[in-house]
Amino acid sequence: MALADFLVSLVTFIAIYGLFGLGLNVKFGFTGLIDFGHVAYFMVGGYVTAVVTMPAQITGYDGLGGYALPALLSAIPGGTVLGWLLGVAIGMLAAAFVSLLVGVPTLRLREDYLAITALGVATILNEVVLSEVWLFNGPFGIRSIHEPAAGLFPLGLGSFTVNLLVFGGLSVLVFAYATYRVANYVRHASGRQRTLAVVVALGFAAWYFVQPLIGASNAVVTLQTNLTFLFDPNAGPNGGLDYDRFFMLLSLAFLAGGYWWMQRTINSPYGRVLRAVRDDEDVPRALGKETFRYKIQALLFGSALAGAAGALYTIHIGFISPEQFGAMITFFAFASVIIGGTANNAGVVLGTAVFWAINSGTQFLNDYFPSEYAVQLSASRLILIGIILIVILYYRPEGILGEQDYDISLPGEEAANANVAGPEVGSSDASTGPEADSSAASTGPEVGSSDATGGPTVDDANGGGVDD
Amino acid sequence: MTDPMLEISDLQKTFGGITALDGIDVTVDPGITGLIGPNGAGKTTLFNCISGYLAPDAGTVAFDGTDITGDRTPEIVREGLVRTFQIPRELADMTVRENLLLAPRGQSGEALTNAWFRGDEFAADERRTRKEALEMAEFFELDHLLEEPASSLSGGQRKLLELARVLLTDPEMVLLDEPLAGVNPTLEAKILDRIHELESQGLTFLFVEHDIELIMEHCDHVVVIHQGRKLTEGPPSEVRSDQRVIDAYLGEEL
Repeated sequence: MALADFLVSLVTFIAIYGLFGLGLNVKFGFTGLIDFGHVAYFMVGGYVTAVVTMPAQITGYDGLGGYALPALLSAIPGGTVLGWLLGVAIGMLAAAFVSLLVGVPTLRLREDYLAITALGVATILNEVVLSEVWLFNGPFGIRSIHEPAAGLFPLGLGSFTVNLLVFGGLSVLVFAYATYRVANYVRHASGRQRTLAVVVALGFAAWYFVQPLIGASNAVVTLQTNLTFLFDPNAGPNGGLDYDRFFMLLSLAFLAGGYWWMQRTINSPYGRVLRAVRDDEDVPRALGKETFRYKIQALLFGSALAGAAGALYTIHIGFISPEQFGAMITFFAFASVIIGGTANNAGVVLGTAVFWAINSGTQFLNDYFPSEYAVQLSASRLILIGIILIVILYYRPEGILGEQDYDISLPGEEAANANVAGPEVGSSDASTGPEADSSAASTGPEVGSSDATGGPTVDDANGGGVDD
Repeated sequence: MTDPMLEISDLQKTFGGITALDGIDVTVDPGITGLIGPNGAGKTTLFNCISGYLAPDAGTVAFDGTDITGDRTPEIVREGLVRTFQIPRELADMTVRENLLLAPRGQSGEALTNAWFRGDEFAADERRTRKEALEMAEFFELDHLLEEPASSLSGGQRKLLELARVLLTDPEMVLLDEPLAGVNPTLEAKILDRIHELESQGLTFLFVEHDIELIMEHCDHVVVIHQGRKLTEGPPSEVRSDQRVIDAYLGEEL
């Protein structure tokens, strides 16, 4: 497998588990609910979406469904994709509904009891799916996973050259933009964060661009293949965008959507109450907030995001069975959240990337060792993650990026802000001097604009910068 | 004679073998009422039972004519009865501004669907709330600390934050659990002025304080509790010369 294909698969994984981690972050990071059963909603979302989108009467499948939503809606233009999206929505709702059933009795428990109970419930749900063949085919799983818009791919735009120029060009743009962002970040960051950014960027370049050249028969072709990672020369007659690459983009779109949705939720008075519940539930209660309702909603929202991630996961794997949803998945997500930054949405994405880069991205090291060491190498990856986790918890318990900054943006900003901020700044001026108001003015629009441009990678840089 | 704001009758609460409240009856009229008693007399338990943090074993609590016995805290707050904590409960990881912004009731952006879909609506709300919070912070001399995490405040400032937060809920009655312990004298005077000002606007205060001079000077009425029961009550001048109060609490006549 070419390294470009591997990168595509890795990024897809990171996008899916990033979305899963965002779901955990709303529960654990922002609301303080230790949900050790988060994987259950990943499973429910995956199974329900699979069942409502797959055709009926699949041989070898004896469970509920399928309900073939994409086929049902295929009469309208774009109906199959719409049907799939509807399936994902149903999967998310199902995940949220199951979490409601779990949450109503358990959220009244103290947080450590909640953690244990959630773990137990997730295990029970997994056992039920495993044992009850009538439900989702038990241990035999589901092999027929609907792939949205699969008919369009591989997507070619004409001749080989055109495809190479368009998709290859896009790939180059991606790397150029990433380089620009990193360079910009390094220029403004300082100290450890700067070092970290440089190390990560150089590490990636060494791994992705330099390492494959060692012993390569044709270095130029290898380099070009890796650089133009969005272009698959073997897709279709003239090369083009294959389904895996499209699916990576789709997963990234879901991640960006989930990220935006999370940011909107957190940067609101609602999010403020969530954080208050996390810090000391008695305080918002003493101020008249129905904290139980907030905890339930956070649980439902986080579980729905996990459900969406589950729907994507089944497509990426192409097969779904209960043993894929062990408790380990939850703890991988916890590790990712803690590494990247608890209560930091960009940090969660970063932490997920770090986690999966170590867990999967180091597989190339196998080539440099005798094959009988493969098992030890795979175990030592988990050891490495464990060490990183300990180092982070010891030296930087808030994670690489730390808690994010919050900014409730008020529409009609400039005019209105001037009104509100005017007297405010004026009065604080007297005591703190002009520095205070100039720094406030410069962070305001910066945070706002990075939100607008969206992508998590963009905010990685900014979040860290502001932090510093 | 005005109607009482708070009527507590025959309230009982035991913890295992310890009787914290032993059928206590207290009536609080509008104005400023002091609640005094020796350590362990049941003052904080009484507050907890009134404000819904503990469910009383027996007895009733009526606020402004409504029975609130056993109601949950958020419901009681929405009725207009709030409390402060003896040990300030600032939200350490949030800024002073956020601590304050949390307080006002009925913010539309605090509903999830509004946070998602009604950005314009809650923005207007939020602007108003920020203005209120800023004014409150200015009064309590916390305005230069608005962007600091609450964990950076001094002990006295935490008391002020607690009080500011409670007042921002726009209450009708406030239970104050030693609000002035650890506050410097000039600010103490300012807070008391503010309390009198709010009283003249119709707020009712029930006030736990160990500084007896302060109680005598600022309260219209004093309730003394001892061992979970009401020992006596009346105007400050009467209470301070009551022999039972002197024996149980004051130690000597002032």
